[in-house]
Amino acid sequence: MIQFLGRRLFYSIVVLLLASIVAFVGTRIAFDPTARLSQVRDKEVRERERERLGLDKPIAVQYAKWVGDFAQGDMGTSEVTRQPVATMLGSGLSYTMQLMLWAVILSIIAAIAIGVYSAVRQYSAGDYIFTTVSFIGISIPPFWFAFIAIQFFVFQLTAWLNLSRPIFYFVGLHSTGASGFNIDYLQHLFLPVLVLTVQNIAGWSRYQRASMLDTLNSDYIRTARAKGVPRRQVITRHALRNALIPVVTVMALDIGLLFGGLVITEQIFSIPGMGRIFVQAITNGDAAVLTSWTVVAAFFVLLFNLIADLAYGWLDPRVRIA
Amino acid sequence: MKLRKYVVTTVALFALLSMSLAACGSNGSNGNSAAADGTLVVGADQEPDCLDWLATCSGASWGTYAALVTTLPQPYETYASDSDSGAYVYAPTGLLAGEATVAPGSQQIITYKLNPAAVWSDGVAITSADFKYTFDQIMSGEDIYDTTGYANVESVATPDPQTVVVSFKDSYAGWKGLFSGGYGVLPSHLLEGKNRNAIMKDGYSFSGGPWKLDGGKSGWEKGVSITLVPNENYWGTKPSIKKVVFRFITDTSAQFQAFKAGEVDFLYPQPQPDWFPAVKGGIEGATIKATADTSSVEALWLNNSKPPFDNESVRKAIAYSLDRDAIVKRLFGPLGVNKAWQSFNPPIVAAYADPAGFSGYTLDLAKVAELMTSQGYAKGSDGYWARDGVKASFTLKTTVGNKRRELTAQILQAAFKTAGFEMKIKTEDAGVLFGESGPTGDYEMALYAQVATGPEPGNCSIFCSVNIPTEANGNSGNNWTRTNVSGLDDLLQALDVEIGNAKRIEISKQADLLIGLSATSIPLDPLPNTVIYRNSVRGPVADNATMGPFWNMNLWTLKG
Amino acid sequence: MNRDSREGAQPLEGLGLVGGSPSMPIGAELGIGALDGPKPRSQWQLFGSRFLKHRLAVFSLVLLILLIFACFAANLVAPFPANEQDLLIGAVGPNANHWFGTDELGRDMLSEILYAGRTSLRIGLTVAFLSTLLGTLVGAISGYFGKWADQGLMRLTDLFLVIPQLVVLAIAIQGFGSTQVVIALSLAALFWMGEARVVRGQVLALREREFVEAARSIGASPMRVVFRHIIPNCLGPILVGATLGVAGAILTESALSYLGFGVQLPATSWGNLLSSARGYVGTPQAYLIYFPGMMILITVLAVNFLGDGLRDALDPRGNNG
Repeated sequence: MIQFLGRRLFYSIVVLLLASIVAFVGTRIAFDPTARLSQVRDKEVRERERERLGLDKPIAVQYAKWVGDFAQGDMGTSEVTRQPVATMLGSGLSYTMQLMLWAVILSIIAAIAIGVYSAVRQYSAGDYIFTTVSFIGISIPPFWFAFIAIQFFVFQLTAWLNLSRPIFYFVGLHSTGASGFNIDYLQHLFLPVLVLTVQNIAGWSRYQRASMLDTLNSDYIRTARAKGVPRRQVITRHALRNALIPVVTVMALDIGLLFGGLVITEQIFSIPGMGRIFVQAITNGDAAVLTSWTVVAAFFVLLFNLIADLAYGWLDPRVRIA
Repeated sequence: MKLRKYVVTTVALFALLSMSLAACGSNGSNGNSAAADGTLVVGADQEPDCLDWLATCSGASWGTYAALVTTLPQPYETYASDSDSGAYVYAPTGLLAGEATVAPGSQQIITYKLNPAAVWSDGVAITSADFKYTFDQIMSGEDIYDTTGYANVESVATPDPQTVVVSFKDSYAGWKGLFSGGYGVLPSHLLEGKNRNAIMKDGYSFSGGPWKLDGGKSGWEKGVSITLVPNENYWGTKPSIKKVVFRFITDTSAQFQAFKAGEVDFLYPQPQPDWFPAVKGGIEGATIKATADTSSVEALWLNNSKPPFDNESVRKAIAYSLDRDAIVKRLFGPLGVNKAWQSFNPPIVAAYADPAGFSGYTLDLAKVAELMTSQGYAKGSDGYWARDGVKASFTLKTTVGNKRRELTAQILQAAFKTAGFEMKIKTEDAGVLFGESGPTGDYEMALYAQVATGPEPGNCSIFCSVNIPTEANGNSGNNWTRTNVSGLDDLLQALDVEIGNAKRIEISKQADLLIGLSATSIPLDPLPNTVIYRNSVRGPVADNATMGPFWNMNLWTLKG
Repeated sequence: MNRDSREGAQPLEGLGLVGGSPSMPIGAELGIGALDGPKPRSQWQLFGSRFLKHRLAVFSLVLLILLIFACFAANLVAPFPANEQDLLIGAVGPNANHWFGTDELGRDMLSEILYAGRTSLRIGLTVAFLSTLLGTLVGAISGYFGKWADQGLMRLTDLFLVIPQLVVLAIAIQGFGSTQVVIALSLAALFWMGEARVVRGQVLALREREFVEAARSIGASPMRVVFRHIIPNCLGPILVGATLGVAGAILTESALSYLGFGVQLPATSWGNLLSSARGYVGTPQAYLIYFPGMMILITVLAVNFLGDGLRDALDPRGNNG
């Protein structure tokens, strides 16, 4: 196990390094960090800035310096905001994490519940409804779903119920002047989390259903039933546990990717997390932020890949990963 | 059961972690209705990159509107002198004891007398040393946004704390914009000898204006909002509103939804047509004020050095192909703006504009035919003009992602087709359009706006032939249209150094006429500014074309 | 299960920008896909009849064909010419003349949607074709040759899975401009990994089979073995992957449009019609949001049902739809 983990860790680091090279070279090609100065009337500013950023040196030298700094926790300074990139990403992460945590909790609970229900009641009306809904869930453009959700939950609902203020909000995570964990927070959290979860619930519940069906049809479950173990107990104690194994793996992999999905959700709901930072960095050509952003995002994907591997070995004692 | 225990524990841990994240830096108060507790919430569609106004990172106009004019003293401010013509003038602010005086003689020397009552928020007087410090920073600091005008200054002298004497080595007609506009006077006693950029860029606690950042740096919560509270030591009229919060809502259309949903009370949106239907019928309980008296002119820029627009008659034919009033009405009709603008001097300098040149161009297809045939063009079977087998076809370039411009382009395309011109549309990133295509002349027609930074006429930078980007001047000129009209350079250059106002008006009008008659480019419309606010906001609320709508916010009140 | 089959779990979820697993690679995870090797010819007839029994999938296929026809023949089918403006009427809701209403320039939304559909479908189909081609190639080479080729290509696959798609897309589009060709190519460059892993798994399973051994023993070149004998035997999963590629590409293009990196006007796609209508949320013109989004939803849904039908038809055990 330790050896396996070590090897995975090694591969992850190699892939992360490769990703950082791609990110660094890519952003250097696509963006000129001094482009924003083209409108400044003092022509020398741009030259000075190029020198200061070391853009006159070969790209390999620039990369070596960058990766050295990065390894020591110095992600450089944003060329646009003049803030340390680490500070900006840290602040972004604190928002992103809130969304991710709630989205993940909700999706896991809902997906497992729906999946188990559908499998246990295969071909029932409920199963068909969930199947249809989950197909819609995976086919719906997420930002369109966000528009529809705002239209319905903010405007229609307020109009129908004749309320003076909407129940759910769509700007930020708090009302002006509010903070902390309270009703206001939940009112703001509802819509973005809904948008983030819909695809995962739809996808994961399908996995859960398929996996559960597979398990329920397996010999040992039939044996357990034949021996007279109560149905409920068979489902929760034997089938669910085994059915969860592949699902948890997929979940872990998807959670790593959720990071990318936040880009659109945060943009629509004006949440200053990693996604917004990314969009702003692209718009402003902020190469320093983009490079580090990419590496951090890649790090999360790899981290959850590792978690998936671990979860797999942990949940399924039959597997001896070597 | 083991599994359930794990799940429960994990969920609980997640929830705890999330709650603690949510509570970060919290004071635990609940969200209240904005007006009830004396807070005005403004929806801002742009977040400034930094609040160090001298540095290159300070270019965002929302930064200027929200946090510069509200916190830093400026010797001159602009206001609409005449609501009919829309012209703006400079007026001394309370910082000055009266108009600055211009010394007689050939050298331009300006003397400012400061108001002795003017103090910083810590009670220290605002003195001539602050002017000198600000000037020194602009001229000797690193990474300075713009030194236009300041570079003409020879010295800033401080004979006594209340007197500033600015001597110019080269005359500068726009001197009233110095220490004003995008800059303000900085407190030398707090910044002298220190790292100005480090102190100011993330927000600063000092103020010389009616407002200050709530808690200094903590008044700017990155990505979320900028919060202003009254400066108790302000020497002028103290604000009555207890708190103003500028919330960043970067998805522009979400602003309107947020306004309707009651999350914000005040909007100052970009003129984008996708929200016009939302305000057309009015918004209940809200006031909508739109004005065309602004500092920007949106125009069709023609490349005078490239076919087909290297031909003056073709340029005129293009001008006769458009019913510009109808286009403007289509674009901005819901805001009450129905007339095309007939000059490259924007409405705020209307006094210096002569509409006679451009107002002659109205939709007249007979005239188009006459002009085109005179140049040897004939209409082909496809309905397009052609000469020697070459179709009168051109590409319009405009900025990516601007709904209004995309819409304008589509309207133009249809109009030009009727007139016999084939127009293709290409959208480019603003950086590419303004950084490459414009300077290198890689376009035929372009659609974008020209923005005046203050109520000063003069378009030499964009129309003088000496400013055509060439190898010789390091491609640094801003005359991207390659306009080269004989006599125009003399007029526009004279305008930039002439100080007498009557003379300036005369020169400027002559130049305008010359530009209009040669149709070097075609102005379309002034970009209207709009303020939308709840009726609970009272007082002299109006847009200020160069300073934004918040410059006189200390006079506003909130009805509880 | 060993690690290789576990990796099969990953193939298709790279799709959405919103992460998630829009494509439900259930087959791959549970080994439902045709892992059991070569099938005689009659297998295809069997497949055909099984597919036809999947009524939803057949219906989806018919719907998609109709949709593709309606869009690409828009100049014959659409009630109004492209970009025909009627400035006088402006934005009016759905009515007898304009079934989907008109936008602020008085353009008929139904016609605009059909014309825009060309772009969306073209991008979807191109991306699916290119990414399938690329994925199949990479997977086949990796699986058949093994060793360093496998190692290298699979690390490359990992790399592509790890770098956020949006970063690659946005950088490519910034660097090369947001033309349809650039968008299609960069999307294709991001959608091949799933296919590559599936094909690799298939090839690994097939290459030791008797018929492959036989081909090798009579001296067939590796290329011939791969392309004549192995790939034809994993067409099923490849086809399923391709349908999902169409869905993913259409969804991702629309998301790019929202962020402003997608197809640029004057060209229209469903994505940019939708994104330019976003200001109408909460206004009486909300219908301008409903219709383009509905088109994307219907298309992607049909593609997904089709993929599901194909997968079921390929799966002899077929009870896990």
